[in-house]
Amino acid sequence: MISRYAGIAPNGDLLLIRRLCEKFRGRRFLHVNSTREGGGVAEILQRMVPLLAAMGIDAKWEVIEGDPFFFEITKKIHNALQGNSEYITEAMWEHYFEVSKRNSETIDLEAEMVLVHDPQPAPLIEFRKGGHWVWRCHIDVSEPQKVIFDFLAFYARKYESAVFSIPRFSKALGIDEFIIPPSIDPMSEKNRELAPQEIGETLDKFGIGRERPILLQVSRFDRFKDPTGVIEAYRMVKRYNDCILILAGSPASDDPEGEQVLAEVREYAKGDPDVHILLLPPFSDRDINALQRAANVILQKSLREGFGLTVSEAMWKGKPVVGGAAGGIPLQIIHGVTGFLVYSVEGAAFRIRQILNDPAMGRAIGAAAREYVRNNFLITRQMRDYLAVWYFLDQGRQNVLRV
Amino acid sequence: MEGQTPPFDFQQTISILKSTGKKARNVRELREGISAASDGAIFHHTYQYFLKGHVLEYTNDFAQWAGESLEESTLSEHLSNIDPYTFKSTGEVRKELLRVIDRYLEQFPEPRSVVPGGEFYFNESVALIFFEGVRARNLAEFLMALKYVDPGCVYFHFYEARSRINPLTDDFSKWFEEGLGREELARKVRAIDPFMHSIEGIREIIGELVEHELRSEMEGGIA
Repeated sequence: MISRYAGIAPNGDLLLIRRLCEKFRGRRFLHVNSTREGGGVAEILQRMVPLLAAMGIDAKWEVIEGDPFFFEITKKIHNALQGNSEYITEAMWEHYFEVSKRNSETIDLEAEMVLVHDPQPAPLIEFRKGGHWVWRCHIDVSEPQKVIFDFLAFYARKYESAVFSIPRFSKALGIDEFIIPPSIDPMSEKNRELAPQEIGETLDKFGIGRERPILLQVSRFDRFKDPTGVIEAYRMVKRYNDCILILAGSPASDDPEGEQVLAEVREYAKGDPDVHILLLPPFSDRDINALQRAANVILQKSLREGFGLTVSEAMWKGKPVVGGAAGGIPLQIIHGVTGFLVYSVEGAAFRIRQILNDPAMGRAIGAAAREYVRNNFLITRQMRDYLAVWYFLDQGRQNVLRV
Repeated sequence: MEGQTPPFDFQQTISILKSTGKKARNVRELREGISAASDGAIFHHTYQYFLKGHVLEYTNDFAQWAGESLEESTLSEHLSNIDPYTFKSTGEVRKELLRVIDRYLEQFPEPRSVVPGGEFYFNESVALIFFEGVRARNLAEFLMALKYVDPGCVYFHFYEARSRINPLTDDFSKWFEEGLGREELARKVRAIDPFMHSIEGIREIIGELVEHELRSEMEGGIA
């Protein structure tokens, strides 16, 4: 399976994965999270666990079960870690722990390496049966509600190591902390190469012509993604360069504000036939892929962002991306090299005009962007990093390791 | 002679980022952070700067942050001028960094802070070193291999070697000289300024030097 990535992922990553998998052959690597489907964590585990298994690792993925009250509590914890004000009672914390206790009785926690994803299953550490335990935090905890983070840190500090997505999200917990950014799978339906007719089918389906340059933003309809700012930037560009704008996103079922934002965006774009607002159903991966490949400039004008993997998805397709300098976007876009970072609507408009007026520069940035993603944000790199953390812990925590 | 020499085994280093959880918002906090940081963190932010695969206008992470985030151009220039390979240890590099920052703080005692999100994060790294699986027994094989090995491989033999063997040399020139007896080629490779090129730039220059050496030899043989 891993050989499918030869010629796509860096050779060194594949070589290191093979070497480390040889060392860990037959040993158990357990991932635990709280959902089998939906969200970036499940998406990457669906693809990574079979890859590890095919390399001889006894790779397992377990999902904890909880009642609605438990998920209500963990939603509050999640929001509080991202800075919202939440109140969690002692009874709630007790229930949070009890659910982990119940899961520890049904999930086989015996493994040489256990990676526990996000806060929901974090108390499982209390039921450790040996092996190396690492807590993987995917969310932004840079400005959390302190009292709630402190409670969670009580569990986090019991792990041998923690993993965060970017340095800014990390905390001084007093244990080894690694920075492992998320990744995209170049073989997935959202990122695989498409034939020209597949791209054409998607454009025809949505009634989008190819005569004029296409600007695209793929994101859910959320104010932090600044969809109206994108329309404003497009209007500024349109004074100089005729183009069309596509705003494509799925309805955010867990976001009550989503409908309202969508209505605002529709109202804002009203009367302009060159603004296409596409509400894509779940599992529209191939259409998103096709739209990204058809676009001339891709935007991710976020005002606040997690990691913003849609940026890497666009960059992987060799497209110049104009991104807001928020969350993990500056980690992906090296300004002027692999894309442009912007801080305002005016900045976005200016960079779009630069790219449209200098297609050779746009192509050069797109090529550098693809190479940057190849070296830094493919699933093989993330797999390599997880195995490397396991090796680090297994070899007595040396900072220089021979493999 | 080449037949009797040991082959050149291409090795590679891949580093995994470790966070210390410590950060700095202004030059004073940067100074405190550098003063308290582990040797591993100083090594990571200076010696390993080139492992990132691209070079902006700077030669280490501290200079880049001072220039890009703090917009303190003078400090950035002074920090960029520090060559870690001229110091005997990471401890001495740390002293030099502090000396440069202290001199700056004497002139500008109240430096401004960065906007939230622009802080400097002190990191370390774990390096995994492994055999790339590519071996060159002569100069022609070396040239072929150099074109295809990963950037981490060029880093390991050209940059990392300086902290391993000698600040003024690297694995490539060492093999050219000691293994192949090609002193002139070794001298030219040692003359490359390590701070003025990206890893890809280094690969290109060494490739051209080796190609030139091979071509001269072939043309000499024909004549």
